[in-house]
Amino acid sequence: MIGLVLRGLSTRKLRSALTAVAILLGVTMISGTLVLTDQIDRAFVQIFEQGNSKIDVVVKQKPPFKDDQTEVYLNADLVTAVRAADGVQIAEPYIQVQGYVIVDGKPMDQTGGAPSFVFSSVSEALNPYTPIEGRLPTASGEIAIATQIAEKSKAKVGQSVTLATQDGIKPVKIVGIVQYGDGTTSLGGSTTVLAPLIDVQNWWSLQGKASYIYAKAKDGVSADELKANVRAALPQKDVIVQTGKENADEQASVLNNLIGKIIRYALLAFAGVAVLVGAFIIYNTFSITVAQRTREFAMLRTIGASRRQILGTVVGEAFIIGLVASVIGIGLGLVFAWGLNKLFGAIGFGLPATGLILSWQTVAVSLAVGVGITVLASIFPALRATKIAPIAALREGATLPVGRFQKLTPVIAIVIAVLGAAGMVFGLTSDADTTSRLLTLAGGAILIFMAVAMLARFIVRPVVGVLAVPITKVAGGVGKLASENAARNPARTAVTAAALMIGIGLVVFVTIFVGGLKESFTGAIDTSLKSDVTVTARGFGGSLPAGVLGAVKAVPGVQTASPVGGTVVQVNGQSLALIGVDPTTITDVYKFDWNTGSDTVVQNLGAGKALVEDNIATSLKVKPGGTIKVQSINGATATFTVAGTYTDPSILNGIVVEQSALKPLLQSNATGLNTVFVKEVPGSNADTVQAAIEKALAGYPTAQVQSNAQQKEQVASGVNTILVIFYALLALSVMISLFGIVNTLVLSIFERTREIGMLRSVGTTRRQLRAMIRWEAVITSIIGGVLGVLLGIMFGWAVCKGLESEGLSFVFPTVQIVIFLVLSIVAGIVAAILPARRAAKLDVLEALQYE
Amino acid sequence: MSTDMKTTPGTTATDAVVVATDLTKIYGEGDSEVRALDGVSVSFPKGQLAAVMGPSGSGKSTLMHILAGLDQPTSGSVLVDGTELAGLNDQKLTLLRRDKIGFVFQFFNLLPMLTAKENIELPMKIAGSTPDPEWQATLVEATGLGTRMSHKPAELSGGQQQRVAVARALLSKPAVIFGDEPTGNLDSKTSSEVLALLRRAVDEFGQTVIMVTHDASAAAIADRTLFLRDGKIVRDAGHLSAGEILDTIKTLE
Repeated sequence: MIGLVLRGLSTRKLRSALTAVAILLGVTMISGTLVLTDQIDRAFVQIFEQGNSKIDVVVKQKPPFKDDQTEVYLNADLVTAVRAADGVQIAEPYIQVQGYVIVDGKPMDQTGGAPSFVFSSVSEALNPYTPIEGRLPTASGEIAIATQIAEKSKAKVGQSVTLATQDGIKPVKIVGIVQYGDGTTSLGGSTTVLAPLIDVQNWWSLQGKASYIYAKAKDGVSADELKANVRAALPQKDVIVQTGKENADEQASVLNNLIGKIIRYALLAFAGVAVLVGAFIIYNTFSITVAQRTREFAMLRTIGASRRQILGTVVGEAFIIGLVASVIGIGLGLVFAWGLNKLFGAIGFGLPATGLILSWQTVAVSLAVGVGITVLASIFPALRATKIAPIAALREGATLPVGRFQKLTPVIAIVIAVLGAAGMVFGLTSDADTTSRLLTLAGGAILIFMAVAMLARFIVRPVVGVLAVPITKVAGGVGKLASENAARNPARTAVTAAALMIGIGLVVFVTIFVGGLKESFTGAIDTSLKSDVTVTARGFGGSLPAGVLGAVKAVPGVQTASPVGGTVVQVNGQSLALIGVDPTTITDVYKFDWNTGSDTVVQNLGAGKALVEDNIATSLKVKPGGTIKVQSINGATATFTVAGTYTDPSILNGIVVEQSALKPLLQSNATGLNTVFVKEVPGSNADTVQAAIEKALAGYPTAQVQSNAQQKEQVASGVNTILVIFYALLALSVMISLFGIVNTLVLSIFERTREIGMLRSVGTTRRQLRAMIRWEAVITSIIGGVLGVLLGIMFGWAVCKGLESEGLSFVFPTVQIVIFLVLSIVAGIVAAILPARRAAKLDVLEALQYE
Repeated sequence: MSTDMKTTPGTTATDAVVVATDLTKIYGEGDSEVRALDGVSVSFPKGQLAAVMGPSGSGKSTLMHILAGLDQPTSGSVLVDGTELAGLNDQKLTLLRRDKIGFVFQFFNLLPMLTAKENIELPMKIAGSTPDPEWQATLVEATGLGTRMSHKPAELSGGQQQRVAVARALLSKPAVIFGDEPTGNLDSKTSSEVLALLRRAVDEFGQTVIMVTHDASAAAIADRTLFLRDGKIVRDAGHLSAGEILDTIKTLE
């Protein structure tokens, strides 16, 4: 039988190739994602192995709760105890913060996703950075810059530049250019400046603090021994002692959780969509070919092939197609990984990556998915093939028997749709954790897609009936024929269209969802802000220098400058933002949307009182008059009485307290200031006042001054970047569905060869024949496009309504939907090119005599 | 058998609809060369029902395909309603078939998703022209299908389907209708209904029909019977009875 399978595949080359493409692109995305994230993963491991290569023991603060995004610091004085431990050769405090140098007025920072670091410079014995020019900074006012900055800025050793710090701009002198490790490790888009510990502590308000204490063992003392000795010397429970290796592993895994895993799961989700679309096409192709081969299977049955052998030939064909496609897909995955990395770099998210890594896990997962899905999708058609009676071999035009399940299709589809809807409702409304909610939501959406695909055949005829009128007007007789052809095999047209529906549906959904996110931010700016200008911190974990507030207040034309600060706290195991406001001014710049409470309540907000955002109040199950106990990352706790609740999931989304209540909970000596809302004197020229504020803040390069319109623009441009990435990834799925249209058309044309011969002989021109096929494709793509748009709107609406309380609003994207519909028509035209050509090329005489 | 050739009816060039001169069709090269047609000259006058007969491989199908513009001769010329086919590109040949030629096929070749009426109208719809309603009504009456016009081919018998196919060929009033074994897939009763319709097309509607057939009873309704063997016309007779035709065939084999 295997010989028969191979022979069959080789005689149906084009069809087999088109089927393979359907699964190939999905496998490419899977393997490419795994390759890329392995690279990122490996790169982080390398970075931190390099960073800890000279270090035997690391001492760090144990945070009271886990929050990967907040730095925690420990008391730098602990270094004395570490030095006193047995076997310590050298021990030094080390600190890392965010900041950047300014060379000739140009900030050498990263505006994309990668961080701009300032590290305190430890002794060469511990330092992963080595000078390739000059030396490491030792005295106050000295810095060393990493090679990337030196190359970009052309700054030289000995040059005087400035350093952007938490405390404003500081004049510094470059004393060295340093490279990380042996210079081969990729650091992605990040930049590094080294400065003496004392400067970093002073300029980032971290006096007496350190990120870590690094220690190196004397010769003959192992890292593990040293770790035990240091542990013995530090009885404090809130301090962690690790070997350099353990620290490297932990640091790599923290970053991987933050970056690698998110990229991996997000990309795999898109790959999953591509695979799903591919599965539809494989199912459809096998359904059509099985129907076309009815007589062949019947003949095999008459000469003694068992049902099992018939099943084997079909599934065997699927297995080989899946295998070949997966192998090619894995290869293309390497190219995909390389391209994605370049794409991330191009949009400002330069990620560190090593050379290409093709792990056995990548190969195994890609093969399993590629072969598995292809075989799975072929099983239903294969089972139908086994139902063919031997007698069919003798009948002209024998067709497949109607399957048992086929009659039940509407019932099954409705059951699936109900399950899908239930999954979506659960995903949107349950209290379960985000991962399981997202998974049920996605699972529900997939079920609904499947149900619609199964039911779509019932709408094919009516829809074609409607479309036939304008198409016949435009294209005449061939238009009428195209419509008839599209409606001829409704199940076939429906599944072909359904493949496109998934892609278009998700494109529409993403448009609505991301549009809703944008609207929730920009809408909040419009409804909640009474201020005209907002000062925020660029980078630096959002912290502004203390002097900013006074500088802004002094600007003529400024009526009110209201400071807002914040930190991360934990309440009942939930990480939340604790927001400190100035009660006397906040209501002048911000409009509370009260549920219980009033502006008077804020104005009298004393110590020990808090206002809670409504969603948070609901999830914490607290009511006005109740109390909440917050745990700060610095270990301190505080209890507040709820004085009121308000709704704002966007701007002041957290627990609002009086500024001074925030102070003891801040985890460094930082200002705790991250935003200044500025209201101008009524009637003043907005541009003039904003320019004056910018001028007043010239000494604080990290302070960003934006009008409300500029804030909205910034949100919009961020949203557009995300949309472009989503569209690009979904475009692959849409492409796969185009191959599906091509495949169905090629197969249908093959089936109708004699008909085409007749049409040509009675005077249909090649051009008319091509037009006929083009219109058939366009009808299919319109059905797919319309169904996709409808489902996309439905999903988008459901998700926006479900997350309404979290600020998501539903905006109908009229323009985009028109564009998507036009694009789906274009897609149909493009898909028809090859099949139409093939049909037009058929020799009339041969086609007429085709059996 | 060329010795008993009778005078060919209607050879005057003026009223000939199809004129073939010295047609040769060679397949393959060298040793494997096959002369499907070997210097055939023949012309068909307007208003004639001609049957082309001959054993398998005699070249009768090739002759019809070349006359109908579906295949190109190796050498020689074909005039259809005054138009020389040699040198016409695919587009012009297609338009010529559309405007001047009708076809009736062995396997009917109706489109399964169209009704009988729609199938009849199909070539004219493709051409973008409107059928003459009176003429269409006459044809519908001639097919004898009446109320079955709104049925799909699958709901019609073979003979009914073929009568629809004949009506389809007639609707545009072509210069000539070619039949490729029009009764080849029918039993004798339904055959005679189709043949009667073809006869009527010539007698009443003044059409010209050239059909290739194996069936002696089909050829027996023809005004003229041509016999081919080895790519040559070996006998060109007027109306022959089925018996006479069978006798001739015996001598050819």
